[in-house]
Amino acid sequence: MFRYVVKRLLQAIPVLLGLSIVVFLLMHVFSPDPAPVVLGEHATQAQMHAWRNSMGLNKPLIQQYFSFLIGFLHGDLGVSYYTHTSVTKEIMSRFPATVELALVAIVLASVIGIALGVVSAVHKGTPIDAVSMLLALVGISMPIFWSGVLMIILFSGVLHWLPSGGRINPLLAPVGGTGLFLVDTLLSGDMEAFVDALRHIILPALALSLYSMAIITRMTRSSMLDALNEDYVRTARAKGLTPHRVHKHHALRNAMLPVTTVIGLQLGSLLGGAMLTETVFAWPGIGKFIVDSILKSDFPIVQGTVMLIGVIFVIINLIVDIIYAFLDPRIKYTKEEG
Amino acid sequence: MKAMATVTASSAFASMVGCGSKRASDASGSGSGSGDFTITFAQGADPRGLDPAYIDDGESAKVMVQIYENLLKYKAKNCEVEPGLAKSYDVSDDGLTYTFKLRKGIKFQDGADFNAAAVKKSIGRQLEPDRTDDMPYAAFTFGSKADGTGIESIETPDDYTVVMKLRAVSSAFLANLAMCMASPIVSPKAIEKGNTNEHPVGTGPYSFVSWTKNSDIKLKRFDGYWDKEHAGKAKNIVFRFIAESSTRVTALANGEADIIDGVDEADVDQVTKNGDVVDKFDGMNINYMAFNTQSDTFKTAEARKAFAKAIDVEEVVKSLYKKYATYANSVMPLWMAPYDKDIKQTAYDADAAKKELASLGITKVKCITYSNPRPYNGKGGTALAEAFQGYLRKVGVEMTIDQYDWTSYKTTVQAGNYDVCFYGWNGDNGDPDNFMNLLAADDYSMNVARWDNADYKKLIAKGLKTPNGSARDDVYHECEKMVADQQVWIPVSHSINILCHKKGVKGYVFHPTAVTFLKNCTKSA
Amino acid sequence: MAEATADTVKPTAEKGESIWDDVWYSLSHNVTAMVSLGFIALVALLAILSAIFPQILPYDPYAQDLSQSFAAPSAAHWFGCDQQGRDIFSRVIVGGQVSLTVGLLSVSISLVVGVTLGAIAGYKGGKVDTVIMRCMDVLLAVPSILLAITFMAALGKGIDKAVVAIGLVSIPEYARIVRSQILSVKENDYVSAARVIGDSDAKIIFRHVLPNVAPSIIVRATLGISSAILDAAALGFLGLGVQPPQAEWGDMLGRGRNYIFQAPHAMIYPGLAITLTVLAFNLLGDGIRDAVDPKSRRR
Repeated sequence: MFRYVVKRLLQAIPVLLGLSIVVFLLMHVFSPDPAPVVLGEHATQAQMHAWRNSMGLNKPLIQQYFSFLIGFLHGDLGVSYYTHTSVTKEIMSRFPATVELALVAIVLASVIGIALGVVSAVHKGTPIDAVSMLLALVGISMPIFWSGVLMIILFSGVLHWLPSGGRINPLLAPVGGTGLFLVDTLLSGDMEAFVDALRHIILPALALSLYSMAIITRMTRSSMLDALNEDYVRTARAKGLTPHRVHKHHALRNAMLPVTTVIGLQLGSLLGGAMLTETVFAWPGIGKFIVDSILKSDFPIVQGTVMLIGVIFVIINLIVDIIYAFLDPRIKYTKEEG
Repeated sequence: MKAMATVTASSAFASMVGCGSKRASDASGSGSGSGDFTITFAQGADPRGLDPAYIDDGESAKVMVQIYENLLKYKAKNCEVEPGLAKSYDVSDDGLTYTFKLRKGIKFQDGADFNAAAVKKSIGRQLEPDRTDDMPYAAFTFGSKADGTGIESIETPDDYTVVMKLRAVSSAFLANLAMCMASPIVSPKAIEKGNTNEHPVGTGPYSFVSWTKNSDIKLKRFDGYWDKEHAGKAKNIVFRFIAESSTRVTALANGEADIIDGVDEADVDQVTKNGDVVDKFDGMNINYMAFNTQSDTFKTAEARKAFAKAIDVEEVVKSLYKKYATYANSVMPLWMAPYDKDIKQTAYDADAAKKELASLGITKVKCITYSNPRPYNGKGGTALAEAFQGYLRKVGVEMTIDQYDWTSYKTTVQAGNYDVCFYGWNGDNGDPDNFMNLLAADDYSMNVARWDNADYKKLIAKGLKTPNGSARDDVYHECEKMVADQQVWIPVSHSINILCHKKGVKGYVFHPTAVTFLKNCTKSA
Repeated sequence: MAEATADTVKPTAEKGESIWDDVWYSLSHNVTAMVSLGFIALVALLAILSAIFPQILPYDPYAQDLSQSFAAPSAAHWFGCDQQGRDIFSRVIVGGQVSLTVGLLSVSISLVVGVTLGAIAGYKGGKVDTVIMRCMDVLLAVPSILLAITFMAALGKGIDKAVVAIGLVSIPEYARIVRSQILSVKENDYVSAARVIGDSDAKIIFRHVLPNVAPSIIVRATLGISSAILDAAALGFLGLGVQPPQAEWGDMLGRGRNYIFQAPHAMIYPGLAITLTVLAFNLLGDGIRDAVDPKSRRR
């Protein structure tokens, strides 16, 4: 097991190195000149040239790349062109917001997705099945930036039930702690702040969960169907066990293996892929941060955030594989991926 | 404390007093002033920073004016200057030496004393040779050696006297010292610590508490504020950052904000429908189209005039901006320069335009524009360019539009590969030079018409040397006439700033430099 | 030996034909899939016709009429008008040109490049395989939409660039599918046989291997078009898509979003167009999968 983990970690190194090269080239070779954006409307040519010098942008590319890489290895992602603040610090101050949103979304997606998937598998071929499968497909097909805005119009603009965006009423925001507001407010027993944070997270988490929910529903249904067709389930049925017991004790447990994998992979992409949701709901996480930074040509931030997301992605994939290997004894640790 | 039905900022704040949990707002001072309420102001984006030396954007200025003060300040409704942290000032006869007498007994929010040394430190760091590249307004405000302008030296003969020697006479200098960029005085102790861009310390009525990026900034009333009579009324001020105008409107309706700014004209009806109040203020800006006077197509005034006749600018302004921008008859808004009211732009005459453009052989025009909404053009450059495109189609001219994100637009403009381009300017200090100088600049990213006219440049130089008054007004009037006669630009509009607030919110002061002073702001349920 | 080869290869070819007959038969009896196919055909037909004969559109999609700015849906303007007073119905139809083009072209890019790389990696194995698959891993190391956004930020706006960005980021999916399928058919008798008689690698791949992986690739490509359309719309929504005045669904949605109170129709119809088209491709993809995969058909 240990050797397997080490091997997988070693394999991740060239991947992350490759990612750093791709991102670096995109930002430094193909992108427009950041100087006019950063220096603003009053900037002259001479000032822009001086600024490029001071940021080291006039140095040879190779040299720039290696200073980026060495900094990255030390956890130093440089400073933002625009605000002169440490990129690592800026990312870390936003990361808890993204984690909190992703966790709530994945819980929503898993609970509803598994329930829908089991129900449709058990009632295969009935209208219930057809309706949940259609719902799941609609969930995959709706652009999140459309469903999200529709939710805001309805729940915030028309009904005034929920806030239109943001994470919490700033005056209620907890200080310090984990940075996960739902956890921090609960720990301090501040119920008013907890409710406020909950009200803020409902819409974005729901919008974000739709896609994963659909994927989980479909995966649960199909692995449930596989499991229901397995010999031992038939045997159990033949032995006269009630359908309920069959579903619960045999089929569901076996069907959970691939579903767990899918949930893990979905969590990975939620952590790194909430750009649209965070933008629509003004959620102050890294997804919105990276979109804003791209529009502002703040390359150090784009580079840093993409690399961080890459690392998280690789780690989550690794954890998913390990859990899978752990749960399924048939997998041998030496198995090649792909 | 007043009871409220919904969880608004103020009721939330009121009910938490004494509950003893750990919250950001618990850091607030005990409060000696009048109110125990919070004013929440929602704007479109985070500030770039909070140290006046390192910023160049309106979003930063709106927050900073609550925290900092300047030697001089603008009057509430215009850009005339009056004493601020300096109780008086004196200008030498040759116009090169400025002597400021400072008020005594003022403390910064971190306890440091306000004195001559503090002024010297705050401004001195922005002068050469200490100036760094990341100070976007330093050269504009305090001049440069190379240009022979601005401050040559700052002396402090005693603790409460500051003497500034200029390299050249500049009638705009006093106005610059009142600006929200570069000039506000920052605590010397905080400058020593570094990090003033994230933890600002000034002498103003509100002190900084915290900044959650992409979300909010919290300020609390500064109990040690020197001007007891004009201390802040609200206990807390919260700035929230919500990108879309329509979402800000919803936030206002839900009580998540008390005041919102940058409201799109399209959302105004919704604000009224929600029972909230809409306020409008004249803007200090110009939204214009520039001809590339160095292009083959438009190197002559004749060609430029023929093009101008094809566009019914008044109609464009009316339909595109409705009531939220005024037609621009000249470069400066009339409230700034009332002496310009007789300036006339080329009248709309499609038939004449068609004939003249045909005889000049102009059938194709290359236009570049910006896609984002800008403070001077809330609809974005594309909508405006497309409106012009429609008029040109009617006179048989095909105008191609290449649009760029603001981020890459400036570089594109500098390259100069266009016949016409759209641009705009947001005034900094209310001085006419701040506007008219745009057409004399050697830097073509400012002077986008690439206009190089020796007579005009002489006028601009003369304007800077002439003391404020009717003689100076005449110079700029002359400038305006020249720009109109030569048809260097087609001025389009001056946008109007829209602020919306909850009923019962009173006392905020919107200044033409597009900042809102909140210290007198109160609210009732 | 030659006879043996003929015997083993021939059935594959016959099986191939019969597969497609079966698939079509099964697909044509799947009502949902056929309705979806019909919808896609309609959108495509309208897009093509409006490109060739713009006069079939009720209005010029680019003609502004400022007096009609944000006009509500009516008999004259079915979907209402946008900020510039342009007819949204006409723009939605023309927007289909962009979305379908991006969908088809970007999938073609990822399909051709991905299948080629996957086939080479799977067939050659060894170092070649490792290098290719590590490169694929790099592209998979961040969510594809993030990578596409980063590409667009660097390359600048335009559908051509959107096609490339979206096409590039989905290459690995195809490469992986093809590689794993090839690994499983590589050792089949008829492939070994072909190798023994000295067929070239390319010939073996194209003749014997690819036809066997075609069904799963086609299913993936159909679903891929739907995600490409979604990604393209996301780029447009973030303002990284087309240059104006071109109509694109995501771009229309992004612009309409700023006016949700004054003119909800400006974002409702483009959003509906995206959702229905994507849904149709997804349903069709599911239908094709059920048709080609007897195991899933059983469900």
